[in-house]
Amino acid sequence: MGRSSPLALLAGLGVLGLLIAAPFGLPVFALTLLTELLILGLFAMSLDLMVGYARLVSFGHAAAYGLGAYSAGYILLNTSLPLPFAVFLAALLTGVVAVGVGWVCTLATGVSFSMLTLAFAQLLYAIAFKWVSVTGGSDGLAGIPKTPGPFGTTLFSSRFGFYYFTLACLVGAFLFCRMLVSSPFGAVLRGIRENEAKTLSLGYNTRLYKIAVVAVAYALGGLAGALFAPFRGFANTELLFWLLSGQVLIMVVVGGAGTLIGPILGAAFFLMLEHQLSIYTEAWALFFGLVFIAFVLFAPEGIWGLARAWGERVKLKGVLHG
Amino acid sequence: MADVAAAAAPPPAAAAGGEDEPLLQLDGLTKAYGALVAVDNVSMRVADGEVRAVIGPNGAGKTTLFHLVTGVVKPTRGSVRFAGEDITGRPAHVICQKGISRTFQLTSLFPEMSARENAMLAAQARQPRRWHPFGGAEVFLSARERADAAIARLGLTDVAERPAGLLSHGDQRLLEVAMAMAQSPKVLILDEPTQGLSVEETAQTVDTLASFLADSRVTVLLVEHDMEVVFRLAHKITVLHRGGVIADGTPAEVKANARVQEAYLGGME
Repeated sequence: MGRSSPLALLAGLGVLGLLIAAPFGLPVFALTLLTELLILGLFAMSLDLMVGYARLVSFGHAAAYGLGAYSAGYILLNTSLPLPFAVFLAALLTGVVAVGVGWVCTLATGVSFSMLTLAFAQLLYAIAFKWVSVTGGSDGLAGIPKTPGPFGTTLFSSRFGFYYFTLACLVGAFLFCRMLVSSPFGAVLRGIRENEAKTLSLGYNTRLYKIAVVAVAYALGGLAGALFAPFRGFANTELLFWLLSGQVLIMVVVGGAGTLIGPILGAAFFLMLEHQLSIYTEAWALFFGLVFIAFVLFAPEGIWGLARAWGERVKLKGVLHG
Repeated sequence: MADVAAAAAPPPAAAAGGEDEPLLQLDGLTKAYGALVAVDNVSMRVADGEVRAVIGPNGAGKTTLFHLVTGVVKPTRGSVRFAGEDITGRPAHVICQKGISRTFQLTSLFPEMSARENAMLAAQARQPRRWHPFGGAEVFLSARERADAAIARLGLTDVAERPAGLLSHGDQRLLEVAMAMAQSPKVLILDEPTQGLSVEETAQTVDTLASFLADSRVTVLLVEHDMEVVFRLAHKITVLHRGGVIADGTPAEVKANARVQEAYLGGME
């Protein structure tokens, strides 16, 4: 929490600079992978808002991703709305639906809350299968275009342009989340995380705060899904499946919950490992499972926690030798 | 010991005889869990500025009574009036917003936050922009002012930066009071403030509480097992036994009451 050190800020700007320069130095397949990585990072970061800051562990965050993807897909296939507008509209829609989801799920706490989020995701999954006229059933939506515009510009529909649009969404969402968690609202979330009963007795209507954070997390998760649909050109029921909900939760934990930046790294780590391991074995998930267990046992603060500890050591050494 | 004498003296409002409406008024308050009546037809008038202790043997219904007043539990019958307004059965956070702050029998804090952050979150609850999702520097600034003032009044300034979970047990109890006071409440409800403290810690904590209560003139509703503590802090005492009121009066009156002696001698062993 709190202000970041100048060093961290510098490092952040350095990484951002690299990401901005990346398209000019990377081959096509690598840029595609990097775009997917940014989308997954955004997805994982959105879940961190719930898990890491309000201790609201969702087992069904794929609901946000899938809903965003299907909405964006449907809009892009059936209207000529420019890509960015369609994407934002889909995210907004996901957030609005999430108010209802949050309202129902926050009737329960703890594991029951998690189970309700899972139940809702499974409900959407079933709907996506059955409501063939809108969702395409088991085929899903295919051939989702990157529509041109606004004002006829093809800026966002090129591979380059779409990459920058995705990067802008991630950076914007990150800054938004940072602001949110360090605001008075964020302070209340922290209270809910540490001791909800006490927060309530101090006079905060904790349920409203929880519904709000669910809505924001789903909207941002929906944004990630809405970017994925035109990126891959399809949306199918896999995007609503519980497997994805589990995977994104693993990304958050492996990256470091409650840090925002950690889950982005967790998503990158997950994607890279999947990519490398699946070259050698079909059972890559098994090995990733082992990595996950190792993190939970030996580095519960995740990749970002390890990086921070390393940074502290370097700083300490500098002090000792300087 | 001068401040302690001041704490024991009756406040002006109570001395006046309570002609005008009391700050807190309970009428026929009853809570039944099936056949078990935890709180039975309790009526009580607490004047502005009064320190009222509620005592009684274990299971007398003290904590349930507090839960009824603070909205944690809804009453089966009866009413709670606060500052002329009926607050019976309102949700806990609404009642707290109206100016009734409480501490818990078992210490309830935010263990990973510093003592100051604990008090700041309490103070923030009293700000109109407490929920603001952006910026909010001015919210934090004024919360910090109120938090620091409350922390200083309870003598916790030296440990303000320390995580609340690492404070001594006595300081944790005081921090809970500081958090409640950072909300500038009209009524402060203390549920066994010396629960779980050693004899020395109790003496220290009560010293701090006594001098603080004498200064602040806040209205207090207090549950406490330790009779020494009760007689030292309270202006008036209500004695509960098996859910009902068996005595109500000044410490001297209550001490002399035959029914109280009987209840305690018969009920505590």
